[in-house]
Amino acid sequence: MAAQTPVTAPAISAIGQAPRSSGRSEGGLKGVLIGAGKAVMATVIVLLALFPLAWMLIAGFKSRSEVVETPFQFFPDVWRVENYQLILQDPEFIRSMSVTFAGAIMFTVLSLAVNSLGAYAFARLEFAFKNVLWVYVITTMFIPGMAILLTSFVVVTRLRMLDTLAVLVLPGAASAAHLFFMRQYYLNVPLAMEEAATLDGASKWEIYRHIFLPMSKPVFVVVGMTSFLAFWNSYVWPIMTITSRDLYQIQQYLATFRSERAAELGMLMAGSTLAALPVLILFLIFQRHIIGGIKIAGLK
Amino acid sequence: MTQTVQAPPGAATVPPRVRRGRVKQPRVRTGVNARSNVMAYAMLAPIVLLLTIFVVWPVIYAIYLSFYNWSFYTPPIPVGWRNYVNVLGDRTFIQSVGRGLLFAVIVVPVQLIIGFLFASLVKSVSGKLATVLKVSIYIPTIISGVIASIVFVLIYNYQGGILNAFVGLFGIEKQAWLGNAETALGALTVPAIWLGLGIGTLIMLAGMVDIPPSYYEAADLDGATWFQKTFYITIPLMRNIFLYLLIAGFTAAVQQFELPLVMTDGGPLERTLLPNLYIFQHFRNDTYVGYSIAAAILLMIVLGSISAGIFRVLNSEKAVDG
Repeated sequence: MAAQTPVTAPAISAIGQAPRSSGRSEGGLKGVLIGAGKAVMATVIVLLALFPLAWMLIAGFKSRSEVVETPFQFFPDVWRVENYQLILQDPEFIRSMSVTFAGAIMFTVLSLAVNSLGAYAFARLEFAFKNVLWVYVITTMFIPGMAILLTSFVVVTRLRMLDTLAVLVLPGAASAAHLFFMRQYYLNVPLAMEEAATLDGASKWEIYRHIFLPMSKPVFVVVGMTSFLAFWNSYVWPIMTITSRDLYQIQQYLATFRSERAAELGMLMAGSTLAALPVLILFLIFQRHIIGGIKIAGLK
Repeated sequence: MTQTVQAPPGAATVPPRVRRGRVKQPRVRTGVNARSNVMAYAMLAPIVLLLTIFVVWPVIYAIYLSFYNWSFYTPPIPVGWRNYVNVLGDRTFIQSVGRGLLFAVIVVPVQLIIGFLFASLVKSVSGKLATVLKVSIYIPTIISGVIASIVFVLIYNYQGGILNAFVGLFGIEKQAWLGNAETALGALTVPAIWLGLGIGTLIMLAGMVDIPPSYYEAADLDGATWFQKTFYITIPLMRNIFLYLLIAGFTAAVQQFELPLVMTDGGPLERTLLPNLYIFQHFRNDTYVGYSIAAAILLMIVLGSISAGIFRVLNSEKAVDG
């Protein structure tokens, strides 16, 4: 009988909460100086990280010529909401946002389903040719995108998938990296949990469905967010495979807007801000899981 | 994720089905095994099918087509190594690879240094503030390359761009940052650094937090300074993380092509024509795809060898056990 040490599933807690060594103990002038130095550095880096986005948001409130006005001015003279109103009234913008959102949801759900099923099978089931299949799946993780980008296009052309939602959703959904990440998580689930179910005659599918799926929330958040983000931000694959405006992806819409309506800089900034909003909101909702997820991403 | 907490069924001393066999008949046991095979294959079918169609087939197809002269509407004609010979003789391609390497040599060290400093900072502040800093630094990571390009093109704008306004404060003349052959590639590195900074910082932070505090406490007793602790404790113990970030960052930077595609389209004078952008443009303009595919495969080989080289050089020094 394999004696398994009962362990809890990896706690996905925020990084950076380790006990701190010194710092606070150093009193006096030196401590104040170090504190001030840290504060300055923190402010500078946060400003650098967020400045381009803050500027984008604010430029959305500027008039067409104000965006690139000389002398440069960070804030508009008059805060206008027209750009945001106009872009929200553009049916193509709304359609691109909706189509991309719907596609991203489908992609995320498919990616979670396909990869977690595979991860469970590799983590918990015994079957013939397991090692061969494992090597087959994992090898795909090391193939750089560009090596297959061109022939992937040839393949989807042959499958007559061009200019459909399927060409956006299907090709990237299966991911060896995601499968690997989820398998690591499932390996840490204590065997004791399913032994009772096995004795009660539960099938492997039932164990996956009723024991593993409900426990998957932390990995699902990380993999789901990564998938959603990849779909939402993708640009090169859509411009290769999508030609009808009905299916234009949001990044594609923005790039097209930029070349077709080059003078409308305020609207472009407003559109970019709104296009970044869904992923920003998702990130802020799940940030604790995502930042924590980096810790279990299998670096060691 | 230590070895002891993992419970891989294959590595377990007694496979599960033997355990069940104690209470069931041997005949039933083989039945369970066959059924478990079917169940496993059913669960693996979707991912194996998708990977086969959209990754494995394209790879094999790429290797095959790189030896053929083929366009979408003609039967393929075998040409042996000619596509590869043509690519290697193409100065534009060779130069683009050199440019990609230069780009990576600027982007990756800056990312690592800023990321390291920032991770040290985050580690030393208290919980709430640390969260704010982590979230802020990670936000650029979720922004798309297209949006970053749009924003940075305007930041670099000759008329009324923020950068020109800023350098104007120091009496420097206005520049067309992206239009000038001298500055264009450098200008592209900034959004690339910006987009990639967050993930590297947080990975380093995760590594730093894993270093036992007792090491620093011992150093504190000896009166070590921050620099001494950093250079003698933190950096040596994080070498595997640096190695990973260096290789991952390097391959990502050389392969960057959304930024030049949207910001400059390779110009001016091909100064921002990074290798993947070159391959991509070639693919779109030339219906004979064998050449482009051969170039992509060659780039993959170059990157793979350089990554392996970095790994060997850095890993040959005696590693410190963390």
